Amino acid sequence: METAWPQHIIAQLKAYRIRFLSYVPDAIGEQILRLARQDPFFDILPLAREEEGVGVVAGQYMGGARGALLMPTAGVGNALNALASLAIPYQVPLPMFIGWRGELGEFNAAQVPLGQALPALFAALHIPTFVLRYAPEVPTVVAGALKLAYSAEQPVAVLISTQLAGWKDER
Amino acid sequence: MINRLRATRFIVAQVHDEPIIASLGNPKFDLFAAGDRPQNFYMWNSMGMAASMGLGLAMARPAQKVIVLDGDGALLMNLNALTTAAARAPQNLIHVIWDNRQFALTGGQPTHTAFRADLAQLARGAGFERVVAVDTQEAFEQAFLQAMATPGPWIIVARVDDQQATARPPKSPTYIKHRFMQSLGAYDT
Ligand SMILES: Cc1ncc(C[n+]2csc(CCOP(=O)(O)OP(=O)(O)O)c2C)c(N)n1
Repeated sequence: METAWPQHIIAQLKAYRIRFLSYVPDAIGEQILRLARQDPFFDILPLAREEEGVGVVAGQYMGGARGALLMPTAGVGNALNALASLAIPYQVPLPMFIGWRGELGEFNAAQVPLGQALPALFAALHIPTFVLRYAPEVPTVVAGALKLAYSAEQPVAVLISTQLAGWKDER
Repeated sequence: MINRLRATRFIVAQVHDEPIIASLGNPKFDLFAAGDRPQNFYMWNSMGMAASMGLGLAMARPAQKVIVLDGDGALLMNLNALTTAAARAPQNLIHVIWDNRQFALTGGQPTHTAFRADLAQLARGAGFERVVAVDTQEAFEQAFLQAMATPGPWIIVARVDDQQATARPPKSPTYIKHRFMQSLGAYDT
């Protein structure tokens, strides 16, 4: 059977020794977390607000361990100041996996403004941003994004599109 | 009332190689004045993030006490972080909050602890069990020694006077980071 995209992300996280996963839930990220919960390699921290995750991953990294942040599109809005004032100036490798709402197939108008602004927000902060659209490209894009985060010591954003992960069938 | 600089000097005299994360403004200024050391992390902005960074550091280094020096204003901006840290409850975390009941750095405007908010009660409500509120140097020293010697996580809310700090630590974030990581032997290769 074909390997599903969340399994490829899990495999790359392990290959890059990213043991700590901090998250605020969303339906797309949950597809990754569901697998991570069954794997003793991972140590998962539920957050109350996405901004916390920027500080948590910074602390883990400076303590000698790697962490990633999983969050919904709306959470990027909650995390912006910490990205700009902690992760970027202190050069923290911070892989972010974002369930991209407000894009293809969105039913909820209140998800659209931030979702449409997401690439421009990251571009304005010079945070490299990659979109996962097709299953075969997932291993390469995720591995490349992680490699870049640690070599350049900076945050990277991986946007998981609804084209890959599916959209809600609500109208 | 406690003087933040005097209490910070006590902390620095007690630690060996334990990392200390200091929040923006006065907590980090006084940490520098009390004794610059590579294991000091000076946060130059990211208001509220000291609490979260301390949690991450405590998770990464379970064998060592990790100390956070926070301000009441900064913590009030990231109160949800208390609920996250209490749920995880790392035994090695010591979170000290200097409660001067104001945003001193920006001109002394009152924070909500000047009125009805009580950070020790909020910490208990978040799920912390070892919470102490102190308002004398002697009580602070006793609480800090207990926190260093026994499993936490510990929350110490210290009522401090309104003295402003004058010292200024190094300003380069990357210098602070590399020095800090090197001192912890935390280099990621
Ligand atoms: C997000 C954000 N809002 C506001 C500020 C401005 N600011 C810098 S320090 C500070 C006061 C911090 O208060 P507290 O943590 O209680 O420390 P104190 O200055 O009282 O020692 C404020 C409001 C900021 N840097 N970031």
